[in-house]
Amino acid sequence: MNQKIGVFICHCGTNIAATVDVEEVTQFMAQQPNVEYSTNNLFMCSQPGQLMLQRYIKRKGLNGVVVAACSPQMHELTFRKACEEAGLNRYLFQMANIREQCSWIHDDRAQATEKAKAIVNAAVRRVAWQEALEISHVKINPHTMIVGAGIGGIQAALEIAESGNQVYLVERESTIGGRMAQFDKTFPTLDCAACILTPKMVSVGHRKNINLMTLSEVEKVEGFIGNFTVTVRTKARYVTDACTSCGACVKACPVEVPNWFEGLLGKKTAIYKLFPQAVPNTYVIDKEETPPCIEACPIRQEAAGYVALIRDRKFKEAAQLIRLRNPLPAVCGRVCYHPCETECNRGYVDQPIAIQHLKRFALDWARQRNIELVPPKIERREEKVAIIGSGPAGLTCAHDLAVKGYQVTVYERSSLLGGLLGLGIPAYRLPRHLLREEISYLRDLGIDFRTNVTLGKSFSLEQLKQQGFKAIFLAIGAQSGVKIEIPGENTEGVYSGVDFLRRFNLGVRTALGKKVAVIGGGNTALDAARTALRLGAERVVIHYRRTRSEMPASPYEIEDTEAEGVAIHYLIAPIKIAKAHRSLQMTCVNMQLGEPDASGRRRPISISGSEHQLEFDNIIVAISQKPEIEVLADEKGVPHLALTPWGTLQVDQDSLVTNQEGVFAGGDVVLGPSTVIASMGLGRRAAESIDKYLNGQPLVDFKTHMPKPIVPRGETFRPHRYSPMFKDLPKQKRVEMSKLDPKIRNRDFSEVEIGFSEEEAVREATRCLNCGVCVECLECVKVCDPEAIDHEMQDRVQQIKVGQILLSTGYDVFDARVMSQYGYGKLDNVLSGIEFERMLSATGGTGGKILCKNGQPPRAVAVIHCVGSRDENYHKYCSRVCCMYALKFAHLVKDRTKAEVYQFYIDMRAYGKGFEEFYKRVLLEGTNVIRGKVAEVVESGWSNKEEGHLIVRCEDTLIGKFREIPVDMVVLCSALEPRQDTAKVRQLFSISLSPDGFFLERHPKLDPTSTMTDGVYIAGCCQGPKDIPDTVAQASSAAARILATAQKGEVEIDPIRAQIKEELCSGCRMCNSVCPYFAISFDEQKKISIINDALCKGCGTCVATCPASAITGKGFTDQQIYAEIEGVLA
Amino acid sequence: MNEFEPKIVGFLCNWCAYSGADLAGVSRMKMAPNVRSIRVMCTGRVDPTFILKAFACGADGVLIGGCHPGDCHYAEGNYKALRRSVFLKRMLKEQGIDPQRLRIEWISASEGDKYAKVVDEMTETIRALGPLNQRNKEMINA
Repeated sequence: MNQKIGVFICHCGTNIAATVDVEEVTQFMAQQPNVEYSTNNLFMCSQPGQLMLQRYIKRKGLNGVVVAACSPQMHELTFRKACEEAGLNRYLFQMANIREQCSWIHDDRAQATEKAKAIVNAAVRRVAWQEALEISHVKINPHTMIVGAGIGGIQAALEIAESGNQVYLVERESTIGGRMAQFDKTFPTLDCAACILTPKMVSVGHRKNINLMTLSEVEKVEGFIGNFTVTVRTKARYVTDACTSCGACVKACPVEVPNWFEGLLGKKTAIYKLFPQAVPNTYVIDKEETPPCIEACPIRQEAAGYVALIRDRKFKEAAQLIRLRNPLPAVCGRVCYHPCETECNRGYVDQPIAIQHLKRFALDWARQRNIELVPPKIERREEKVAIIGSGPAGLTCAHDLAVKGYQVTVYERSSLLGGLLGLGIPAYRLPRHLLREEISYLRDLGIDFRTNVTLGKSFSLEQLKQQGFKAIFLAIGAQSGVKIEIPGENTEGVYSGVDFLRRFNLGVRTALGKKVAVIGGGNTALDAARTALRLGAERVVIHYRRTRSEMPASPYEIEDTEAEGVAIHYLIAPIKIAKAHRSLQMTCVNMQLGEPDASGRRRPISISGSEHQLEFDNIIVAISQKPEIEVLADEKGVPHLALTPWGTLQVDQDSLVTNQEGVFAGGDVVLGPSTVIASMGLGRRAAESIDKYLNGQPLVDFKTHMPKPIVPRGETFRPHRYSPMFKDLPKQKRVEMSKLDPKIRNRDFSEVEIGFSEEEAVREATRCLNCGVCVECLECVKVCDPEAIDHEMQDRVQQIKVGQILLSTGYDVFDARVMSQYGYGKLDNVLSGIEFERMLSATGGTGGKILCKNGQPPRAVAVIHCVGSRDENYHKYCSRVCCMYALKFAHLVKDRTKAEVYQFYIDMRAYGKGFEEFYKRVLLEGTNVIRGKVAEVVESGWSNKEEGHLIVRCEDTLIGKFREIPVDMVVLCSALEPRQDTAKVRQLFSISLSPDGFFLERHPKLDPTSTMTDGVYIAGCCQGPKDIPDTVAQASSAAARILATAQKGEVEIDPIRAQIKEELCSGCRMCNSVCPYFAISFDEQKKISIINDALCKGCGTCVATCPASAITGKGFTDQQIYAEIEGVLA
Repeated sequence: MNEFEPKIVGFLCNWCAYSGADLAGVSRMKMAPNVRSIRVMCTGRVDPTFILKAFACGADGVLIGGCHPGDCHYAEGNYKALRRSVFLKRMLKEQGIDPQRLRIEWISASEGDKYAKVVDEMTETIRALGPLNQRNKEMINA
């Protein structure tokens, strides 16, 4: 190997030479093998330096070059190009970093010189192994994506669009404009921010080649410069382009949440437009995750919606909303076990909202006023559907199908409609007239009800089909009481719980003695016990074999039952019943709890020797129920339909279809004994499934709701993004519903719970946290004349191909609440800069008037600089814009009020064009400036000065005195800080951060708009705090860079790629799995792995993985790195 | 001055640790001169043989500096480096080499201060361990 290597060592002025003995290194390198020539120069990167390099390449015929200077990230490209111009392949050059990683970090000259020798030596040894490589070229996609549509993004978009290339402008908010849209005037020229910004916003909206994507966020970025594929999710706006921006919806919306656009000052509705000149000028509905109350409900009842309407005193609208999709609202308002309340977020703050009571209130309110709740319009269809069973599942399915226009007939075995609602649940929980009203509403929808007809006796499934029913829904419930299987269970005087309740509800007399035992711990057991009490039993005792915490009955029902005087005995089970004289003798054993069983509850185990006898007149067994499958069986008892091992019907989980085509099933016959609302959920799903079936659609992709388990939420969770965390929300007690006095209530079957008054209901509804912002009350839909609102709109995910990306994602404002000494968030009239901007703006809350909370103009205003910036505790950096906007505030306060203005500053920084002049002008206007960091802002009520005002305490460092200045208003110049999600965005685009947390530019002086990732640029405050002119300048510069690259049509790509030596590859495929870009695949014919050059990014992971050393990392070969290792250690 | 000066080879990834080391330089942070860096595109490129080679050629310690988990420019090269280093440490231990002589650290482009700290710490650790003895080097060579 005939190597002729040239070594060129840079002094970098004194940057290197002051610490490293450049001459000694030069001499040392001259003696190393393969070194043809070694020299040094004051500035290698200067023109004389580069010319010298080129001269020696030619003169000495060098075939390898090492420049020892700064970091390769600084000047590698410079020297590579210089080599190339001199005829040497650029990859035969190597850079030795003796500045950043040597001279600048060491003081000891001898040590630094030794280290420099090692570093240069390593480069020399490495370059001896380097090979000439060819640069590859890739075509550039001319389209650009700009992320963030503040003034920076808008500026760049317009400039790039001017070239005719396509721009995708992605903005997270509902409108473009960014921070600048919040401002009133801009310093130092005092021109109106809106006047200079909105024309630009409008032209963005009009440009055909700007694809404006609001409410959009980037989810994924793949590819590299010239060929990025960006996945963008556009959140549903829920308002279509038909919106005329009339604003009627805002008046109808019952929701109010803080409006970030106005700081802590303003509120906004769930449907909103941030400011009048928004682009696109369309309203938008703020809808986050579905509120847990709705998510938990099997029929997806709009709980949050009617609660919000009740809060707004729109009781009729609330009742109408409940009625709209709930076929049994009065029933649910009374007997539902309300999973909505179990999941209610308010429960994490104090107690859940009394959703069920509010529902009952709204319906009672409407009924008491005879307000008719209008059923939806129905378009008739010819298909007939039969529903067997009129319980909650059957009625819900019937309702939904009837609303869709089907001809629905409901068959009921008993003379009473409603299933267990009428036959099981006692009237003191569900007054019978309400159930009759519900059914009469359903009858009005056109449903045909037939009573006293029993499946298997009066008719069969086959007959129904022959009669032209196209689909059948089986909802026959689980009405047969399960036996305990103990001796004596069939003795006279022993009843099953469901039978007892059914007989009573049908008006059949049941003989009942004075002492009654009830066996079981479910709601049926409690209902039976309370009914027995009302029928005259003097002593009723419930026996349950586990403890109270395992009882399946609802806790509030247990409380009511005990309040009425029913005794509950735990850990006891009967083992024998015998007739004894005139009463019944029940032998019981005591139990203890063992290991948890399949249901997760601890298994009861009998304690031997604890047998004892108890005497009762009657025993009611209410341990469980099962479906009466016999009705579905033929003469021999073989069921027509497939069953589960638990004796329930077997159905497809999604479509609820049984093993017979056209026959669906739901409710307790599928679930086993469950709840009203769970059965209604299946009824609803069955209706959707039957509708699909009758329309010939496949039984997939169901839209009806199946409640998902909701993850528990911690104390730092927020109900929506504008709300404080659970732990910071003020506590407020739940309004309890009045109940009949337990002493009188067991005398008859009057309803126990009395109901809310209007005031109680409104007070309770006010506790709602408005989870998810929009509560889907659908009031906006009613008032929207152009029918522009679509609550069903879905998010859209697109993959967009672009060549280059510009990030102009802006900044967040420091939350001054953490500096409690300034009282922000606690004291009225302490405002953030943004809030004050909004107060000054004509479109803000006060229409541009400067007013204290009490509506009076202030007599003195303090402006505190450097809140959170230039502060070791928060941000060390200067936010750059505060001094000037503080002065602008001073000018505007002087202009609009007669108030004194005090500026509290540390250093006044007026560095820009026209800034110093503006400072002078504001001083001449009579603004007071006090140099010193404010110690605290306090309310002045405690001193003898006037109450309700503020005192600013500060040391005036110019006169060396402590001062207390009374003011009416304090404005804080809060720091500009990196966006909260900077870390996420940085990872998405694979760029770095500088120590201050803003995006890192490629070079702080010479390349402030590019990043280390080719093709990704940054502009504006995401790179560091800056004012509007600087942002615009940086954005324009980025636009120019982007256009220049696009114009070139292609980019050079470093040939640093992995390469497989076919003859060495054993085909083990280990490399296939380690490649993060899936660039390596296995060639089945050659039985070796092959690399797709276009996908390979050159990371070298496969090279290090290959056990046969069959993969070479071009530019970073094993040999090159071995040589470097030997070099640094030589 | 007869004090033992450890020789440490640092394999730094181009995107994070090498940039962090540069930032330490730009910020003029002073640190021990014992770490000599070798730039690789990704810590995933660091072949176990590089580390063994470094020990065999006289290194008393090896530092691998990569991107923080989740930040790798090539998605997951740093995880692979971590996996290999765990394995290698075990292997070094079997050969009688203190596993502290191999250190893997996540240093982002903005963590110049962390780089300086790691360099100083590692230098002191290795100084305390003393030079890697000849027998071990030969074992690796073999």
